[in-house]
Amino acid sequence: MISATQRRVFWGLVWFSILVLSLPTIIVLGASVTSGNMIAFPPEGFSLKWYEKIALARDIRGAFGRSLIVAFVCLVISVPVGTFAGIALTRYRLRFTSLIQIYLLLPFTIPLIGSGIGMMLVFGNWGILGHVWPVGLACAVINLPFIIWSVSSSAAVLDSDLELAAANCGAGRIETFLHVTLPGVMPGVITGGLLMFVLAMTEFLVSLLLTDARTVTLPVQIYNNIRSIITPDLAAISSVFVVVALIAVWLLDKLVGLEIFLKSK
Amino acid sequence: MTTDPDNSDFRYPLRWRLMDGAERLLEIVWPRRFGRFTGWLLLLPALLLVGILVLGLWQMAESSLHVLDRNTFLPSEEYTLSNYGTIWQSATYFKVIWRSVQGAVWTVVFTLLLAFPFAYVLVRTPRAWVRKLLLIALFLPFFIGQVVRAYGILIVLGTSGAVNDVFGLIGVGPYRLLFNFPAVVFGLVQYMLPFAVLMLAPALTSIPQETETAASSLGANWLRSMRHVVLPMAKPGIVGASLVVMTLSLTDFAMPAMLGGGSQDFIANAIYDQFFRTADQGLGSALALLLVALGSVLVAVIIGLFGAGTLGMGEKK
Amino acid sequence: MSKKLTRRTMLQAGMATSGAALLSGLPASRLFAQEPEKPKEIIVRAWGGEWVEALKKGVSDPFTAMTGIAVRHDLTEDNEIQPKLWAAVAQKRMPPIHVNWDTTTNATKSALRGVTEDLSDLSNLKNTTELAKPVGLDGYPIVNTYGYVYVLAYRPEAFPDGAPTSWKDLLNPKLKGRIALYNDGIGFHFPAQVAGGGKLSDIPDNMEACWDFVRQIKAQEPLLGEDPDFTNWFQNGEIDAACTISTNALAAKKNGIDLAWTVPVEGCKFDTDGLWVPKGLPENELYWAKQYVNFALTKEAQQVWLDGLGLPGVVPGLTPPAGLEADPSYPTTPEDFEHLIRISAKVQVQNESDWFARFKEIMQG
Repeated sequence: MISATQRRVFWGLVWFSILVLSLPTIIVLGASVTSGNMIAFPPEGFSLKWYEKIALARDIRGAFGRSLIVAFVCLVISVPVGTFAGIALTRYRLRFTSLIQIYLLLPFTIPLIGSGIGMMLVFGNWGILGHVWPVGLACAVINLPFIIWSVSSSAAVLDSDLELAAANCGAGRIETFLHVTLPGVMPGVITGGLLMFVLAMTEFLVSLLLTDARTVTLPVQIYNNIRSIITPDLAAISSVFVVVALIAVWLLDKLVGLEIFLKSK
Repeated sequence: MTTDPDNSDFRYPLRWRLMDGAERLLEIVWPRRFGRFTGWLLLLPALLLVGILVLGLWQMAESSLHVLDRNTFLPSEEYTLSNYGTIWQSATYFKVIWRSVQGAVWTVVFTLLLAFPFAYVLVRTPRAWVRKLLLIALFLPFFIGQVVRAYGILIVLGTSGAVNDVFGLIGVGPYRLLFNFPAVVFGLVQYMLPFAVLMLAPALTSIPQETETAASSLGANWLRSMRHVVLPMAKPGIVGASLVVMTLSLTDFAMPAMLGGGSQDFIANAIYDQFFRTADQGLGSALALLLVALGSVLVAVIIGLFGAGTLGMGEKK
Repeated sequence: MSKKLTRRTMLQAGMATSGAALLSGLPASRLFAQEPEKPKEIIVRAWGGEWVEALKKGVSDPFTAMTGIAVRHDLTEDNEIQPKLWAAVAQKRMPPIHVNWDTTTNATKSALRGVTEDLSDLSNLKNTTELAKPVGLDGYPIVNTYGYVYVLAYRPEAFPDGAPTSWKDLLNPKLKGRIALYNDGIGFHFPAQVAGGGKLSDIPDNMEACWDFVRQIKAQEPLLGEDPDFTNWFQNGEIDAACTISTNALAAKKNGIDLAWTVPVEGCKFDTDGLWVPKGLPENELYWAKQYVNFALTKEAQQVWLDGLGLPGVVPGLTPPAGLEADPSYPTTPEDFEHLIRISAKVQVQNESDWFARFKEIMQG
């Protein structure tokens, strides 16, 4: 950054953003160790009783396991589909691109309630309701634009001469794809995949319509609990999520480096 | 492949042979002369996946053409447009739709205002640990989910919450910060900010820092080099982020429901009411289809004016 | 012998257990010869938090102990399970739940749509008060299990001159932005009709008085929410008074909030909740689902379940929970009902959308 004014203005806004992003999280973390019966900040006294409660609750563990399955199914479906689509949209000359864009943004322009009701009817006709995997499929559908855009924004900066060069050197189409195109869009695939995973882990509105008592996922369970009265055990669950998130971020950093989100090549 | 009689036990590595096999298979399944359709082939799975939603929309279009019979709570037999008529004549729905559009626009403006410097600092900072901290601050809220996050906001901004405590220290307030339109927009900005930063960052990375240095060495102050150099080059990212933030806030349900205090409904809340509260699926479907149409028109206008940005796609070459 | 008794040993152990109530209405021969195969579990929809705790303690756990059938609770909201059930019946799929614990208004919609099983052959119905019978419907497509009152709940510290006596007290300028209603106005329409100078007999044809009063209330900038919001808002000090069902006020009070409630002179809406069984279940599961509902109508089950909720049941002779004797939210005698407004579920479901639209039109303005 060049001038001091710019630095001050930008860092001011960044600090504000950090505050806005983190404060609710910190409050929820804090509230989870209260010894009282209400979510409050500052918490009344310190106790881990709410963690004990969720550790002992079998239904919560079951729901957490199912959420992992949902997120995994979502990943398995959306990563290849989104990667191919992102590459297709940037590396190939297609007609009717504006229409394709509008079509591919349908998951965002259809309100989630509408998507949920619609998929409930469609899946009901297909006779696949009552399983866990259709929820993962649904999560892949409603969040698909995220992985498409993250792949296409990586692919857009990839120099197409590289692919031509590979082809000129005698590389086949699959080889070119595996050794040139795919590594080029990898940052986008990882960002998009992580987003898809996390969003599937926390999706509640569509899942609500596609699950029943035997296939309920964790966010639906939380959402239903909030509807009656919010108690600190929900804060404790959220805190577990945060810890899981921190571990995931740390692992990602160790394995591929966080910089991958920013690298374009 | 030629076989050398002196070296008959020579074999290419397995990987090469597999790759050759795969290439040959590909040549049979999808010969090169199909090349101009390859893009469509790669796009097909995504088109099919979104097609599930289109099937759902089709069901909704069908049910939007029937009115609810309140004696049997079944949809009427005959086809009619009267659900659309009900919406057209209702001042409430007009207000709610207008509020959603305004909410989406303000959310885009404020989100970009915060996301741009965040992404810029993220990309430009020379210190790796700062970058990591910023990324963590960005990612953690994702894991908490929208509803619990909204609950966190309720506590922070509540009449006896943290912000009003600070006001109390300087002797003003407490103020009612929640349950109004700005509170909903605030919640939406909080929700959208990470998405927007993630979309802007790659666009900013592709701008060489030298360009900016050059601009300033030619005497441009930072505002002007932002406006004339960085912003135009970051345009694809900005457009892409705007599209995502706009469509998601236009159709959001949780923030208006939790932070609006019941009097700041967006269209999604009106749709929820029809589907779940008054059991009028026809009217709910009609509202949902209108919202999809409205969102798609807005997307089309933005793409028409500015291109599709990082969403898209296909603009290069 | 382990603690888990089989049904047969339990019957042999004697009819004095609460199981007697479940089975007494059935001829013994039929019972032993034709009792359908037991499913491993049945799924009962319930509201979360204290609601499901009370149901579990009063009905589900004893039912499991008695029959060996596990009970799983589905905590989906009543109005969110409704489209799921309707779609299941329309698509001829097995419904996602066996028993639905529902508001009578919502259940009436399902009954009118024809997705409910007939419950009029339940043996324990003969011991219930007339409250158990749904008004305006043929037979028992649903069974009401208790009643509740939409009281005026308030924080005593905000009313230093004593309890509010009229809904008009909410118009006090001091309470601007400090009152709350349900976001569809439910529970408030009928008292508002009286407070606005209208007559209850004019419902549903002429409700201008109600809308006049709602417009006055709108000027007070009320918060609009659903059940959990009221408890949260009282807890976080956002509101001083609300029109809400007494159970929410009771929950906030249990959490240590200083709260009281009253039935103002104009009266309060009285309504019921009930249980029903969706169509499309296999024969044997239908039988056991109905037995669950039947068991919920026994005095033993009602006493424990409704103690947890603090609400009056539908069998005579229940003991009110401590602190709620003679409480306006726990009506038992005819005098108690004098100030309570009860409108048939049928009139409600047929006009609800219009009332709701009208209320929204005023409030969203």
